[in-house]
Amino acid sequence: MPSLSYLLARLVQIIPTFLLVMVFIFLIVRLLPGDPAIAMAEAKATDAQIEQIRRNLGLDQPLPVQFVVFVKNTLTGDLGRSIMLKAPVTEVILARLPTTIFLALYSVVLAICLAGPLAFLAAARANGAADIAIRSVFQVGLSMPVFYIGLLLLTVLAAKLRLFPVGGYGTSFLDNLYHLILPALSVALYTSAIILRNLRASLIEVLDADYVQFARAKGLSPRIVMTRHVLRNAMVSTVTLLGLSIGNLMSGTLVTETVFAVPGVGRLMLEAIFARDYPLIQGLTLTFAVLVSVVFLLTDVVQSWLDPRLRQS
Amino acid sequence: MTPLLPLFLGAALGLAAATSALAIERGGSMSFARYDDSAIIDPVYADRNPDLWMINAFYETLLRNGPDGSIVPGLAESHAVSADGKTITLTLRDGLRFSDGSPITGEDVVFSLDRARNPDLGPWAGLLGSVESVAAEGDTVTLALKQPDPTILSILATFNTGIMPKAAFEKAAGATDQEKAQAFFAGGPVTSGPFMLKSRVQGASMSFARNPNYWRPGEDGKPLPYLDAVDFTVIPDDATRILKLQAGEVDAAEFIPFARVGELGADPDLKMELFPSTRIVYAPINTREARADGAKNPLADVKVRQALNYATNKDVLIKLVTFGTGKPMTSLMSAATQLHYGPEPLYPYDPEKARALLGEAGLSGGFEVKLTTLAGSADDATLFTALQQMWAPLGIDLTVEQVDNPTRGEKNRSGAFDIHTYGWANDVNDPAQVTGWLGYYKQRQAVGTGWNNAEFNDLFEKSNSEVDPEKRRGEYKRMQEIYAQEAPLLFLFETPFAVAVSRSIEGYVQTPLGANDFSEAWRARK
Repeated sequence: MPSLSYLLARLVQIIPTFLLVMVFIFLIVRLLPGDPAIAMAEAKATDAQIEQIRRNLGLDQPLPVQFVVFVKNTLTGDLGRSIMLKAPVTEVILARLPTTIFLALYSVVLAICLAGPLAFLAAARANGAADIAIRSVFQVGLSMPVFYIGLLLLTVLAAKLRLFPVGGYGTSFLDNLYHLILPALSVALYTSAIILRNLRASLIEVLDADYVQFARAKGLSPRIVMTRHVLRNAMVSTVTLLGLSIGNLMSGTLVTETVFAVPGVGRLMLEAIFARDYPLIQGLTLTFAVLVSVVFLLTDVVQSWLDPRLRQS
Repeated sequence: MTPLLPLFLGAALGLAAATSALAIERGGSMSFARYDDSAIIDPVYADRNPDLWMINAFYETLLRNGPDGSIVPGLAESHAVSADGKTITLTLRDGLRFSDGSPITGEDVVFSLDRARNPDLGPWAGLLGSVESVAAEGDTVTLALKQPDPTILSILATFNTGIMPKAAFEKAAGATDQEKAQAFFAGGPVTSGPFMLKSRVQGASMSFARNPNYWRPGEDGKPLPYLDAVDFTVIPDDATRILKLQAGEVDAAEFIPFARVGELGADPDLKMELFPSTRIVYAPINTREARADGAKNPLADVKVRQALNYATNKDVLIKLVTFGTGKPMTSLMSAATQLHYGPEPLYPYDPEKARALLGEAGLSGGFEVKLTTLAGSADDATLFTALQQMWAPLGIDLTVEQVDNPTRGEKNRSGAFDIHTYGWANDVNDPAQVTGWLGYYKQRQAVGTGWNNAEFNDLFEKSNSEVDPEKRRGEYKRMQEIYAQEAPLLFLFETPFAVAVSRSIEGYVQTPLGANDFSEAWRARK
């Protein structure tokens, strides 16, 4: 297992990342064209009403003052009030976050279950009939946008065959597994296509490596060779890829959650951007930054466990 | 057994089936797929349509709008306007109760109206700007006005004057009125309208239960509503919302894209409802002498604006954008608006007239116009392509600039545009709102066009304190004539509210103002 000092060092590295993220989101949100007061007021408001909204949001203050207020409030856990939803940002995000995390984990598990066994099958006889078939099918999955896969699944499996519900969210764990299967599957199809390609390539490479030949020659059982030598080494780069794709997956939830009517933070982000809801956009970006950092940290930990050489650096 | 009996039985069964198809049935629930969630259903703080259009379900107003838009009694069984137009007296019905069983009193009315007209609270306080004071004695409520206000009765039938329970609201947690409103709504508010909030998952779903104490009787003489519950699911994506309906998981889906109206209308399980609305699609024209960059603005000439209107084939646009569901505009306001005057569609397609007008304006050689559209809007893209082709033969070089909604709003306010797309729906059942918005310079420079017509402005100011309904109608007729003639807009079309409803649901209505009315909806059992 990785040492405590390694973990601490990785945690400390996160701090400057966060400072950068905060400066970045503060600026980027304010660089978006369009005044949030105007966006919020809809077209009908008078100029005086717009001025009022601007004052309430503190947008009439100079940028540096706004930034100091933002940092101070963020450090105390106060992300402000959502303009659009008229409720505290922290409250809104915490209510929606579990749904998104559930969906993300669900699709990762599905992706691994799909890609793992098939990668072995493909790698066992590289360029055989099974390999070519598997790779072609997943190539199609890789070239289709997630929302399109989603709509196809919805139309066929939900609306026509009525096997699954059309979008929405459940009330219990099992209910959620049932309700979220289509969105999870449409994301998983894409992710598994990426994992499959990589895992297959690494497996082929490792199966041919000297140390594997040696392990076989020394008479180790095929199971031991597979788990200790092949799998562990082939997985290093796949774990990196999986970590990266979870980062991607977070941004993918913007689209998936909208198509499947899943009330998570992805859809919330999309709505917040359209409404120029500054406090909510800032809060959500920060949340995404935390999630992605945690995933990358976990990826590093798993990797250093798989490959002890990485612990030195 | 005689052979007659089966015949008789068959006839009796047939008769029973026929009556059950007509008679209203009580009980059950309906499910409804919405395009967006409500953030707060409160008469004062609601500012987005998903909030505004639900308020009437919770909070009953003193007066109501009848199906034809006329003023009919609500919580107040009668109302009287004094001869000088400055005092309104209303008498509450006997035995009115809130959903929790407590009586609805004059005190609740004073509380609700004072809250609604407090300019420090919500955006709608201006609608009650003419009110000096509200007082109650027993069942009699008196409004004293600063000056006569011809819109006041309509406002007393508008969402922002819904009656809320004073005691229960004040008990809600929070230091400020806004915090109290939030807590009151979140906790499942005590209501005076046909429904109350049963449960809610923010961003996902909401459930209404029948208010057992609602006053208004249904067709069977017993109080409304007929349904025990209405369950809402929030599905922002159009395609998914429709799939949900087709899969039979919901009974109705709102905001059906016009492109799919024909397909759903052909589905034997569904009724495709196109409710008449006050929604108009139009394009403000910048009428200022100079463009934003200081150059001379050809659109400042009324002849050029008229020419553009004549050069626009509205019927083709209606086919292309609304798939035949829209209607050409006949006035600045929709035909479903009170005091509308427009005997025929404005500026019927006539390219020759357009050419002649441009010649008179000295622009036969052509000129350049920029259309500002919403990025990502398929309707706007279609509109631009069609206009470009319609106008090109006249030498008008139409270019496009795509922006997002807030940017478009900013351009409208600063006047940095030639022509841009826009839409509008009335919130109030009175023409003053839309007329002030589109034409009154002092409000918002006549929807950002910079059009400043002295006669129109005077008429508008006069009509706002005109108590004689016939005189007011005359003033509105004249304003609509001036506006049509001056053409500060490209008049495009009116669109309906498209809602697809299962055949087992009857009586659901979306009003011309957009409000979702479930009070008389019922489910037919098979």
